[in-house]
Amino acid sequence: MNTYICRYCRQPSDPSSPTCPLCGAPVDIRSSVSDSGWVEQPPIKDMARLQFGQSHVQIAGTMVPVVEFNLAANDWIYFSHHVLLWTEPQTRLANMAMRGAWNRKMAGLPLVMVEARGPGHIALSDNHAGEVVALPLQHNQQIWVREHRFLTATGNINYTWHPTGIWYTTGSGDDQETHYPMGQYGDTFAATGGPGLLLLHAPGNAFIRDLQPNQSLLIQPSALLYRDVTVRMSLHLEYPRNLGFAYWNSRWSYRSIWARIYGPGRVAVQSIYSPPEDTEMITSHSYATTHHW
Amino acid sequence: MIQCQWCQAQNQPGTTSCQTCGAPLDERNKVSDSGWREAPRLRDMVEFRFSGSTCQVEGELVPVAEVALHPQDGVYFEHHVLLWKDESVPLSSLNTGGGMKRTVGGMPHIVTVANGPGRIAFSRDAPGELVVLPLHPGMELDVREHAFLVASHSIQYSFVRIKGLVNLLHGGNGMYMDRFVTTGYPGMLLLHGNGNVLERTLQPGEKILVEPGGFLYKDSTVQMQAAQMPLKTGFMRQSMYLAEMTGPGRVGIQSMYVHHHAD
Repeated sequence: MNTYICRYCRQPSDPSSPTCPLCGAPVDIRSSVSDSGWVEQPPIKDMARLQFGQSHVQIAGTMVPVVEFNLAANDWIYFSHHVLLWTEPQTRLANMAMRGAWNRKMAGLPLVMVEARGPGHIALSDNHAGEVVALPLQHNQQIWVREHRFLTATGNINYTWHPTGIWYTTGSGDDQETHYPMGQYGDTFAATGGPGLLLLHAPGNAFIRDLQPNQSLLIQPSALLYRDVTVRMSLHLEYPRNLGFAYWNSRWSYRSIWARIYGPGRVAVQSIYSPPEDTEMITSHSYATTHHW
Repeated sequence: MIQCQWCQAQNQPGTTSCQTCGAPLDERNKVSDSGWREAPRLRDMVEFRFSGSTCQVEGELVPVAEVALHPQDGVYFEHHVLLWKDESVPLSSLNTGGGMKRTVGGMPHIVTVANGPGRIAFSRDAPGELVVLPLHPGMELDVREHAFLVASHSIQYSFVRIKGLVNLLHGGNGMYMDRFVTTGYPGMLLLHGNGNVLERTLQPGEKILVEPGGFLYKDSTVQMQAAQMPLKTGFMRQSMYLAEMTGPGRVGIQSMYVHHHAD
């Protein structure tokens, strides 16, 4: 069989299929690339099927797509219980042990993951209009994902979570507040048990870009969807030039809080995000670059 | 004649959308491997008829249902879904009965009735799909609270209490469901489903477990019961419940919902 490298999941794929059997991206379309180099992630076609192990996944719907698994007897997936839409009674569900319950609670992360084991059907969906992004991972490949964007992963993918290291504080004394514009923790998925499939949900549209070594880019922190683990990130603070307003205004009211990401590697963003609050002066922060115009 | 695969109505050859429900006639049904069928995606500006009136669907992200009412026709709806109307279209209110029970259940006491002639338009406030359900005489349909958009006046509107303490406490579907019944005449019911809408027909005794927030509608023949899962969720390790649907009949779900036990 001839193979080609899918331009979206970067895995060897089957050109005779209308969609990549690993990530669902259409095979027969030209990629949409913006002038600046962002590649639009094409939505997975309605009813497209993806294969993993002896099981397959079918994507139903285009607005808030449903991910429907047909799990074979030896295959299993895990997910947060919030995204479970329906299941057949014979699909076996069980709690998955998670470490760090208190830290996860404090960070607003789901405390409980659910394992679903075949045989049987089960379906998951998120609660935002957007796209399902499929990331097939080769053996030992790792990917970093922003919190709350994880939909599900196959059982052979290992899940860990670590501080993002991007934060700043406002206020002082009892009013001091720590902000995590990219979330307090990020998820890392590693295919330690052989090739696996990771599915994310991106609110809005998703775009991918490859950064060269040391090439950097400023993005809204909450727009980051996933990145290769080779991509580094830090905080960047930008203050506009004072155009006649009081000095203090330009010090915090009109600042921009960015995530600066550095290549090499792949990075993906989503088009729906929540800008950080920008009304109070920053009193301390994680490592950051700063620019005053 | 061409039979609509969604509502089973017969259509003249050459028509591209069903005259009774607006479903495209020139597209294949989209059915997943497990048997869930996507509700037909109504084309922008498609029209269909009920009684002597017509309904046109405008937009695809948050669709608007624009109804041109015949002088003898009327529709009813919850007042907050009214988008615009001709000045000449008279409105009246219909008491649903139930008084305090509906207050406690968070449901409106009064539905608003609009009578023809004239035009009136409706929409809800979330991305999603309009689900057109022509009801033949003798049909009974249960609908999740606040999912109903508009119904023709030949359909009787009532509500049913969700029975059983377990269902009430853990079912995640509130205290009441809307029930729509047709007696002597057919009618038209339009729902708004958040996200995508999928429907499955259960055989007698066949069961499916559905997240209660995703439930949209069901035939009244389908039994709904809160079922405890072998799972603990949240910091307090509370039990997780799903809605167990038992056939026979249709079940409709929506893909965008607020999880009923979000923690």
